[in-house]
Amino acid sequence: MKRQFEIGFIVAPDISEEEAEAVLQSIMQLLEKAQASVEKVDNWGRRRLSYPIEKHQEGIYTFIKVEMDSAEVAAIERRLKLNEKVIRFLILRLDDKLKKTNKLVKKWTRNDRLAAKRRSEEQGSEDEGALESQDDSEAREEDNEE
Amino acid sequence: MRNNSSGGGSSRRDGQGQGQGQGQGQGQGQKKFYFSRRKFCHFCKDRIQFIDYKNSKVLERYVQETGKILPARVSGACRYHQKQLAKAIKWARHMGLMRFTEGQQG
Repeated sequence: MKRQFEIGFIVAPDISEEEAEAVLQSIMQLLEKAQASVEKVDNWGRRRLSYPIEKHQEGIYTFIKVEMDSAEVAAIERRLKLNEKVIRFLILRLDDKLKKTNKLVKKWTRNDRLAAKRRSEEQGSEDEGALESQDDSEAREEDNEE
Repeated sequence: MRNNSSGGGSSRRDGQGQGQGQGQGQGQGQKKFYFSRRKFCHFCKDRIQFIDYKNSKVLERYVQETGKILPARVSGACRYHQKQLAKAIKWARHMGLMRFTEGQQG
């Protein structure tokens, strides 16, 4: 079954651009073999690291968003782990994380609907008498709190 | 605005009515609003479904100067987003986008 993944890795800065490209190509080849559909390749280039990793102060960042079979993750992980130029990598599965937040989206849409309803109701009862009684009850509530 | 129309009717509670009016002005059409500033989840407001660990600019706002993750009681994030936030910060640390502690200036 196809899943959505995000692969991020940092290549050591002391190599040439071509070599960095070669690392990316080796992973793209693997992805191609796995019949994965690459959605996006994000090349950040050189970036300063927040803390030294393997005594490097900088790193070349690349992020790949891809849809592939989950069985292929192990192969990519092995490739990244064995490559000595790659100093850090992270593979995340995204689709399940988005699924979890569906509940949140439902809540938002419900709240939106309620707010719209309340707004339309307020506009409906614009006459003075209704408002006055509402304000009075609110004031009484505050009295009780004190 | 609303309060002014009814304010004349109840002169006895005038002082209280004004205090309430300030709160109401902000929270019109929303829940009653007693305090001028109330914490809320900024991620819910911006309708962010999933917090991206690559966006360290946003994540920096949710750590202390020492690099510690802010608790939800301070950050105001809802429980869904606080959990996501903590995960995202940890991933960002792993990828060298954020620091773990104070003295780690590369």
